[in-house]
Amino acid sequence: MTAKLDRELDDLPPAQRWREWMRRVEAVLFASATPVAREDLARVIGQGVSVELVVDDLSEQLSDRPYELARVTGGWMLRTRPAYADVIRAAADVGQQLIDLREFEIAVLAAIAYHQPITRDGLAEIFGKEISRDLIGRLHEQGLIGTGPRSPRRGAPYTYVTTEKFLVAFDLTSLQDLPDAEQLGDAGLRSAAG
Amino acid sequence: MQMRADQQDWSQTRISPLPGWITVSPRPTIDEASFLSGAALAHLNTVVTRDDLPQAIWRQRLALRAAAASVQISGRFETTQDLRDAVMFLRDTDQAGPAGEIYLSWRRAVTRSKLHDDMQARLLAARGAPVNAAAEACAQLLDDAPRREVDALILADAVLARALRWRSIVPLLAAGVSRRDLRKRGDDLRLAFHHALLKPVRDAVQLAADLDRRAGRLRLVAPKLRARGSDAAVTLFLTQDAVTPGMLTSLRSDRSARRFCDRLVELGAARELSGRDTFRMYGL
Repeated sequence: MTAKLDRELDDLPPAQRWREWMRRVEAVLFASATPVAREDLARVIGQGVSVELVVDDLSEQLSDRPYELARVTGGWMLRTRPAYADVIRAAADVGQQLIDLREFEIAVLAAIAYHQPITRDGLAEIFGKEISRDLIGRLHEQGLIGTGPRSPRRGAPYTYVTTEKFLVAFDLTSLQDLPDAEQLGDAGLRSAAG
Repeated sequence: MQMRADQQDWSQTRISPLPGWITVSPRPTIDEASFLSGAALAHLNTVVTRDDLPQAIWRQRLALRAAAASVQISGRFETTQDLRDAVMFLRDTDQAGPAGEIYLSWRRAVTRSKLHDDMQARLLAARGAPVNAAAEACAQLLDDAPRREVDALILADAVLARALRWRSIVPLLAAGVSRRDLRKRGDDLRLAFHHALLKPVRDAVQLAADLDRRAGRLRLVAPKLRARGSDAAVTLFLTQDAVTPGMLTSLRSDRSARRFCDRLVELGAARELSGRDTFRMYGL
């Protein structure tokens, strides 16, 4: 166990204290490959200090960097800006990290996103055909979906839900960023019954 | 005489209903609304402070209502039963899904002594008259993080409960405010909050009376239940919003657990809550 972290930094003048909090948050985000939750960031800055405000200032400071501070579900992460995608691909073999989806897989993923938690039977109803275990397995393997609560029906089938990685991959802060039901309804993409 | 299910038989309970004049005004001014909300909360205080009510179930059911309202505010379609299912059939390794998570947040709020994340600090920092402080804390959180509507509603109820010196959160505001209300600020928001409390308080008092009557009925028939382990099972029914036969481990077998539940329904001491033939769940 390390010594207790000095969160308050009372011996620093306010401006310097704030900068140190920003550095701490950046360090934590830099060190983490996955999004860091608000409560975890809150542990390295003063008690009751708004994580959002520190993050906003940090985000502004990073505005001329090739990476950015991205807001994802319940937290934040550092990631390279999309404009540098080709550069990164040219220099390093990152193929493994890229998400590789076929068109129909994306359709199924979208259906899960809107209707979660949903069973394979529920998906079959939407698409009018059986959705293969393989397809679900591939989405699962890529970490885009996870299992939700069992459905209270015969056989207690699994339901599927989207994961945090899904939100990150599609650049959504939360599921509320999905085009809303009304917009889809207007476009004729969703039945009134929802 | 047979009572309709939605009517409350006040004669059999020890709780008096909220006076009718509190909820009749359709468009009160802020003066009227703050007077009415004060009257409503004072009445509710007599319910909150009674130790002889099934307080745990009362708060769980209010949390469920608040969750159902929050789900709607966040633009989703799940029903109350969907929320119950999501939580009852969830195992540790699974994720509850977006609506289930909302319900879990509310359940944690009414059972734990501290709020999560930055909300505890916001709760402790809140100052002022109860409802105004709740409105202010809610607005501040939404200004910092506009998407955290559910957190803001939980925080508002927490601030209210703390200002009223209640031991734990009583979920009220979510069932009364609209998404539009949450975009208001200052006096408009305060008025919306005072007004939003009235019907949820009335319903919460009615729910308490209802649960009091049902719990009394269960205690009355409890001595007739001679199955081994039935005492522990009755305790579960008196403390949990919903019970599945699988939770009644004190009865030793699934079959006797099911029989026990059926017997309670027969005796009018519990209800089946899901309306299904399988995966049933029971409660007061």
